[in-house]
Amino acid sequence: MLLETIKKDFIQYKSQAESGEFLTLREAAFAEFEKLGFPTTKHEEWKYTNLKSITDNTFQSTCEIKSLVNELFNASIESKLTANFLVFVNGSLVNELSKIIEKDNSIVISSLATARKNNQVIFNQHFGKYAKVEGQAMNALNTALLSDGAFVFVPDGKTVAHPVVIFNISDASDINVLAQPRNLIIVEEQCTLTIVETYYATGINASFTNVVTETYAGKGAHVEHYKIQQQAGVCYQNNFTQFFQEADTNINHVTLTLDGTLVRNNLHFYMNGENCNSLLYGLYVTDNNDFVDNHTRVDHAKPNCFSDEKYKGILKGHSTAVFNGKIMVHLDAQKTNAYQRNQNILLSDDATVNTKPQLEIFADDVKCTHGATVGELDEESMFYLRSRGIPENMARKLLLTAYAFDIAEKIKIPELVELLEQKIDGKL
Amino acid sequence: MLEIKDLKAEIEGKKILNGINLVVKPGEVHAIMGPNGAGKSTLSAVLAGRADYAVKGGEVSFNGNDLLEMSPEDRAREGVFLAFQYPVEIPGVSTTNFLKTAINEKRKYLGLEPMEATAFLKFMREKMELMEMDKALTSRSLNEGFSGGEKKRNEVFQMAMLEPKLTIMDETDSGLDIDALRLVSAGVNKLKDGERSFVVITHYQRLLDYIVPDFVHVLYKGRIVKSGDASLAKELEAKGYDWIKAEVEQEANT
Repeated sequence: MLLETIKKDFIQYKSQAESGEFLTLREAAFAEFEKLGFPTTKHEEWKYTNLKSITDNTFQSTCEIKSLVNELFNASIESKLTANFLVFVNGSLVNELSKIIEKDNSIVISSLATARKNNQVIFNQHFGKYAKVEGQAMNALNTALLSDGAFVFVPDGKTVAHPVVIFNISDASDINVLAQPRNLIIVEEQCTLTIVETYYATGINASFTNVVTETYAGKGAHVEHYKIQQQAGVCYQNNFTQFFQEADTNINHVTLTLDGTLVRNNLHFYMNGENCNSLLYGLYVTDNNDFVDNHTRVDHAKPNCFSDEKYKGILKGHSTAVFNGKIMVHLDAQKTNAYQRNQNILLSDDATVNTKPQLEIFADDVKCTHGATVGELDEESMFYLRSRGIPENMARKLLLTAYAFDIAEKIKIPELVELLEQKIDGKL
Repeated sequence: MLEIKDLKAEIEGKKILNGINLVVKPGEVHAIMGPNGAGKSTLSAVLAGRADYAVKGGEVSFNGNDLLEMSPEDRAREGVFLAFQYPVEIPGVSTTNFLKTAINEKRKYLGLEPMEATAFLKFMREKMELMEMDKALTSRSLNEGFSGGEKKRNEVFQMAMLEPKLTIMDETDSGLDIDALRLVSAGVNKLKDGERSFVVITHYQRLLDYIVPDFVHVLYKGRIVKSGDASLAKELEAKGYDWIKAEVEQEANT
């Protein structure tokens, strides 16, 4: 059913599109999507993630923007930050709420649509080069039908003084909505940038967000990237994030999933040079019938790189979580250090976790470790706290908070961490 | 203060305590010694309210209340403190935050106002000085990465903060070198005020050189088979436990 809407959407898009390289790219992507179709549980990578509730439904793309999103934005944690804001509702830019405070004119922070006109050369050089379309149905779909998104370009040696907040709202107050945001972040040599990518939702109908973010990190660049997902209501999200790292780059990524009906995160790192550091941290707190799936992939393509990955889950109600962490150590990636852990605490008998570490190592001089745990709160710790006079419910909360904050604190914006911790605290 | 009558307990169907009788009055220090497997740690676990032990008989009253009916937290708030043999490492929970929560929960239980932040910090500073605690330890996560000695000292520091009426020390001396032992004992001795009572569980006599007991009891096969004064501990140190075991066996045979 969704497929039919999508086909119509693409025909309509083509009838209005100007011809050229971009259209060719999108036609090819659409052909790829039609060939592949939506992923089903028969695909190894989608074994636990059933998209039927999305594909059997109808969702419409819409450009209409309601005034109530202002309230949602103003009430959010992120809006309190001193930052550059790009605010999107159902994939369309909201000019009144977007605000760029960066003073350096050589740094570009704009919508993708604007960048395609104003920064054509750099756009064409990078767009679609990192997030693959071949064999990736959801990326192909996004490429074919992308609405708008954020564009950030940081030229050689520059530091972006304040974070860039990519603020996404799904407004499903009238109809089921579909948004396909596309972000392109280009950070050239020796640059520093912090991105906060955040998702909210409003309205009684369902929303489906299929987003792709490509980040190119030039030699010696440092990128902090935080993804915060708290879409309340009936919200589906497929999120694909690809980092492409040149030599000597540092990337610190944190994903916090605090709400969402079905969230599938695909987080990919490709280390294309030596001495890269890739840090991947995640926390998911799930409840009710929520489903959260984190698929990560780290490609150690060159020697002497380091990756550290830690994902933690707290599951309540009938919720389900999936963790699949793939580490690929390529043939010549000697002296690779790769660490991976996935820990889960089940607070309910009806919650489920499927966790799978996946290491594929083709080099022979590497250090890789992985581990996964699924359990309840440590009884010894509970007893220790209680034996000091702390009641059971408070002891449980202290332990859960400590467990969760370990990940939240990887975010290096103290005021954001503080507010997020209050939020997490409320969820526990 | 503490009255244990014919206490019987088991774990996973295995009988460990077979009728313990013990009376601890305010200000007294009782040492409980015994060979491995005698039931020493079980006794401390049952008194603190650990869930995996099943009480099969007997009574324990603490200042007139039925201790066995209380949750572990209520026992603590009534003034029972267990110094753990193996204190747990709890990453992410700072010692300061933990103690503040514990103290204020106890105060709430006793119908007192919570302690103000500044008053709490002042109180903590005083106790840290008293216990010769390194400042850095309280800002770190609870016991995380602490050495064995640091963990035991942290137990005694927590005791100083929570000001219990009865402290049960479960093999606090195990794994301590002589300097740590001295520091831990000095800490305990500073808290003696003629009102507080201590039950010191230990395998070895050496701790009792520093914390001098009023009474020494020997636990064997889940019962107290011999009681005496501090000199009994010396005798055990010199002669080992075999003669006690022999006495018990002989008694059983006649």
